[in-house]
Amino acid sequence: MNDVFQSLDPRINRLGVTVEGHLEAKSSLDQFETYEVFFQMKEGKPYEHAGIVHAPNEDMAFLFGKEQFSRRYTCTGMWIVKTHQVITSPITDHEQSAYDLLDHRLAETELNELSHFEVFHLKKRGRQQVHMGRVQAKGYHDAFKQASEHFGTEPALQVWVIRSQDLLFSDEADKDIWFTLPEKKYRDAIAYKSSDKINAYKERTAKQ
Amino acid sequence: MYGGGNTFEPIKATGLEMEDPAKLAEFEARIERGEKIEPQDWMPNLYRKQLIRMIEQHAHSEIIGALPEGTWITRAPGFRRKLAQMAKVQDEVGHAQLLYSAAETLGKSREDMITDLINGKSKYSNIFNYPAFTWADSTVISWLVDAGAIVNQIANAKGSYGPYCRALDRICAEESFHLKYGHDAVVHLATGTPIQRKMLQEALNRWWTPLMHFFGPPDKMSVHTEILVKWKVKMATNDECRQQFLDMYVPKIWELGLSLPDPKLHKNAETGEWEYTEPDWEEFKRVINGDGPCNAERLAVRRTAEERGAWVRKALLSPKATYVTPLA
Repeated sequence: MNDVFQSLDPRINRLGVTVEGHLEAKSSLDQFETYEVFFQMKEGKPYEHAGIVHAPNEDMAFLFGKEQFSRRYTCTGMWIVKTHQVITSPITDHEQSAYDLLDHRLAETELNELSHFEVFHLKKRGRQQVHMGRVQAKGYHDAFKQASEHFGTEPALQVWVIRSQDLLFSDEADKDIWFTLPEKKYRDAIAYKSSDKINAYKERTAKQ
Repeated sequence: MYGGGNTFEPIKATGLEMEDPAKLAEFEARIERGEKIEPQDWMPNLYRKQLIRMIEQHAHSEIIGALPEGTWITRAPGFRRKLAQMAKVQDEVGHAQLLYSAAETLGKSREDMITDLINGKSKYSNIFNYPAFTWADSTVISWLVDAGAIVNQIANAKGSYGPYCRALDRICAEESFHLKYGHDAVVHLATGTPIQRKMLQEALNRWWTPLMHFFGPPDKMSVHTEILVKWKVKMATNDECRQQFLDMYVPKIWELGLSLPDPKLHKNAETGEWEYTEPDWEEFKRVINGDGPCNAERLAVRRTAEERGAWVRKALLSPKATYVTPLA
């Protein structure tokens, strides 16, 4: 077998890629740690969990999050946090609130001073976590307690609590990265209307 | 972009006798009620394993599928098509990221998935082992391969695993653009000059067998997957998807005065089913096992990208980084 193959793609030929080869098994963290991405579709709407990105730092996570989750629809803001900085409750069924299942394992993570925490609820299985609001508490355990008092009557199949200072929030000045979204018509399905061409073709061939 | 070739290997042992019967019953009742399973829920090992395999193969298919189309970005005719082709390729790579994440919530790391792809341990959709010789090939991929993938993905989006369904909803929304863009490009060639029509017809002839292979072997040849149907992992059989694809797209091909290289292809008016010549399933097996026209190139290109990018990732890695399984 040739060492270097001929591709139909001239760019690949220029790379001098060899056919034979074996990838050394990737070590852990080769793809970095993960960040959870939340975004807001319109002003005034609550932030919703969108998914994760792998990134070496917050700023890269922000860029990847923007590319991954806000290419198509309107977007007015984005939040980023390291996955391990999200503290989660157990997940439950529609009959029961996740606040009823909280255990005491969080007690040891108490912080010394009052901090702000962002609270998210999973309201229905299959959906994404939605931001409920902010509470002030002296640790994660306390934050869950505060959240229960403030938001406990809302559906909560699972609760996430994140210390506000761990989140990277987009600010006013960042918003212009989404301004040009509606201009990119070439990636909208509605920009492609071929029925006129098809009808013209049919008329033309019917006459012949 | 993804087909149904994933069900090819038989399940050797279900291992269900090892599972806690009470938890299993609760799990099955939840699926029966139409509720989604989320990553933190208890699930049987077989469910986890099959989903990892399926979602991982889907992710690999997206990333490998970007290669034959990526080839055509620089040569796509006109600035607008270059922009659209680039956006489509970015979408496909983005879909791979969404799917890798969904698989990751089940406990397989992205590092392991990439290693298994490049070293040939994991499969991807067979169709991307064929070359895109001309611009017309690229338009046929954009339209019909994506059309086939959408049939498959819309079915799977009603499955039971929350993160996979959410990824598929996002993917399907984006792929509606691919489908329209591909169709528009095909119509442009079909209604153009005789040379354009000829180029398109040749591309269709080349892609017909891979497209028929796309949904996997016929149900009568496939492995029994009753339990995966019950658990809403597999949402439609290979033949059901193939029939739906033929029903939606063969008339659209024929209305452009184009032909398909199967004289037997027609819709049986009585049964409402499409009849066709079975494609060569030996070729399918051969190509999926590595002996197709582009298998070696596709994997070598991915491997080279990983190897040559390694130093950048190493330089960027923070010593404080810690990995935990992503949440949803």
